[in-house]
Amino acid sequence: MIIRMAKVEIVGPKQDLLRTLDLLHNRGIFQPDPQLIERVVLADDERLQTLVLDENELRERSFFQDLQERVTNLLELLPETNHGISELQPLPIMALLDELVDQHLATARDQARILNESRRSTEILQHDLSFWEALEPLLEDLPKNSNLELFGVTIRDSQQLQKLDRLLQERTQGRCYISSTRTADGTLIGLIATDRGTADDLRQALTAERVPELSLPEELASLPLPQRITALHDQLKAQRSKYKQLEEQLIDMSRHWRPIYCRALAWLEERLALYRATATAYTTRLCFIIQGWMANDEVDRLRDELKRSFSGRVVLEQQAILEEDLDQVPVMLRNPGYFAPFEILSRLLPLPKYSSYDPTPLIGLFFPVLFGMILGDIGYGVILILLAFFLAKHFPARTLTSDLGKVLGIAALYTLVFGVLYGELFGDLGQTWLGLHPVWFDRGKTVVPMIVFSLTFGVVHILLGMTLGALSEMRRHQPRKALIKVAMLVAVILMVLALVGWFYPQSWLSTGPLLIGVGILMPILIAAEGLLAPLELLKTMGNIISYVRIMAIGFSSILLAMVANRLGGMTGDIMVGILVGGTLHAFNLLLGVFAPTVHSLRLHYVEFFSKFLDLGGRRFEPWQKRHP
Amino acid sequence: MEKVWIAFAAALAVGLPALATAWAQSRIGAAGAGTLAEKPELTGVIIILVAIPETMVILGFVVAAMILLML
Repeated sequence: MIIRMAKVEIVGPKQDLLRTLDLLHNRGIFQPDPQLIERVVLADDERLQTLVLDENELRERSFFQDLQERVTNLLELLPETNHGISELQPLPIMALLDELVDQHLATARDQARILNESRRSTEILQHDLSFWEALEPLLEDLPKNSNLELFGVTIRDSQQLQKLDRLLQERTQGRCYISSTRTADGTLIGLIATDRGTADDLRQALTAERVPELSLPEELASLPLPQRITALHDQLKAQRSKYKQLEEQLIDMSRHWRPIYCRALAWLEERLALYRATATAYTTRLCFIIQGWMANDEVDRLRDELKRSFSGRVVLEQQAILEEDLDQVPVMLRNPGYFAPFEILSRLLPLPKYSSYDPTPLIGLFFPVLFGMILGDIGYGVILILLAFFLAKHFPARTLTSDLGKVLGIAALYTLVFGVLYGELFGDLGQTWLGLHPVWFDRGKTVVPMIVFSLTFGVVHILLGMTLGALSEMRRHQPRKALIKVAMLVAVILMVLALVGWFYPQSWLSTGPLLIGVGILMPILIAAEGLLAPLELLKTMGNIISYVRIMAIGFSSILLAMVANRLGGMTGDIMVGILVGGTLHAFNLLLGVFAPTVHSLRLHYVEFFSKFLDLGGRRFEPWQKRHP
Repeated sequence: MEKVWIAFAAALAVGLPALATAWAQSRIGAAGAGTLAEKPELTGVIIILVAIPETMVILGFVVAAMILLML
């Protein structure tokens, strides 16, 4: 249901504003609304104006903003640890933190830079090592000639390799050897061997062809390849050790300081939020005024708390909600135990306006009934109850899955009840095997009773919706609109009775006078609503006929169940029969959960709610601490 | 022969609205998927919009069932 809200005004001396805002922030039950004052205050009233911070407050805000930025930068550099947030109160040590944060920021930046360089060096070494290790087996194919010069190169693809081979053979008159392999990451690399006399010429050719030569630090370049690889391994090991040491230093610093800075940042964010909140306050020369909204049942408690905290200097006054305020009143929904899980279905719609209704209890009442009417099967009901029990039991309370389980459980109970009324257990299996008989009627064989039942439900549902619509207009102090809705309601009742009299003639139910009654009402409706009134009447009748889907979807569900039983029986083998029948029943159950859900919701959202629900409300979003 | 005509009438009663529903749902579904990518909060509205044309095939099905079972 929609919680009753109160429009309140909080007034106090100007110097208590920040403390008052802090208290409201801590309580988390008040939503300021500066527009309320703007509507009341006259344009030429110079006594009330938006709050302008004095010099000290501006200086303080600027200091906190600057500190917040530096702390944020520091926290970005410090690695995450699992030490949480410190319990230390930051305000007494704010000046100290102001000095420390710059030192820590400089240290952390240096550490991060060195760490980055070390990481880059390690990556380069790893890269070089993987290349030279891949080239090592190629050396075994080369003659042991000390006059040979070796080049390692990276090659784009096999086409470039062929082209390079041709070019090098031409440049060296065949005194060159090239072989290739792939590194662990798939890069194609090559080893070129030539005699020292042609090495320079060959190097120029490689540069001209833009084939990158594998580079090495000078101290390694002169070493033979096996020693080169060992030296690279040693360097990599030393580099990794250095990296780990640097990382440990930064983690150690983070372990000590991160919890304190996290706490300071949270405090700064709350403090700056208070300064932002001052924009919602109006002031006179000596006082401040804040207007806003809160739940009606919290007003007395907040009034007492303000009185106690400020020795009566800050007062709270509840004001009457005016007609022009109705569209602005924020909406808070709260539903008792049974209805609470159905909020997952009402949340699919935008919020209702304050003067309208919370659709949740209505969904809670009618959705499971419609679901049960459509699916109506003892076997499916039992399976769904077990599934619902599992979902509700194994997931924490008030989570989406747990709520889904509860809604499914209630809907499954109705499925079971209607299954008994229709005499269905996995379609007609109960009738064939267990001699089950319908308590009410067999919807698999008789279509008309189910159509009548569905339409009757539709008539009741729509008439309830129209009644709520008329009541809603009364609540909004719109008697004329309420009267039109009542006239439309009477016209629909007369039309329905006329149709009943037409199809099921009764001595006491005469169609003629009923239609004359509609004829009398119609000019009144046209005069009030215009030419759309007859269309509205037809639309409402169409809405009622739409409920025939309850019969149609239920009928298709039972036909599919019967097909599953027939096909299972036709196999002639009990195991194959169970498998075939079970698979089709599982498919039917899946459809049987999806289709009734969608269509029951559609009947609510389109047919039922369109008669009375006024959507587009503002959500109640009270000030509250982000860091409790 | 009469049975054939009854079956044919029932098939038409459900078949034609089924085609119309399929066409309408394909258009609404595609537009709805695009909408949901930008505004996931409209899920409820999109479900309603997709379910609206189903009325045609449901009423067609009811008529077909009545043709088959009542004639």
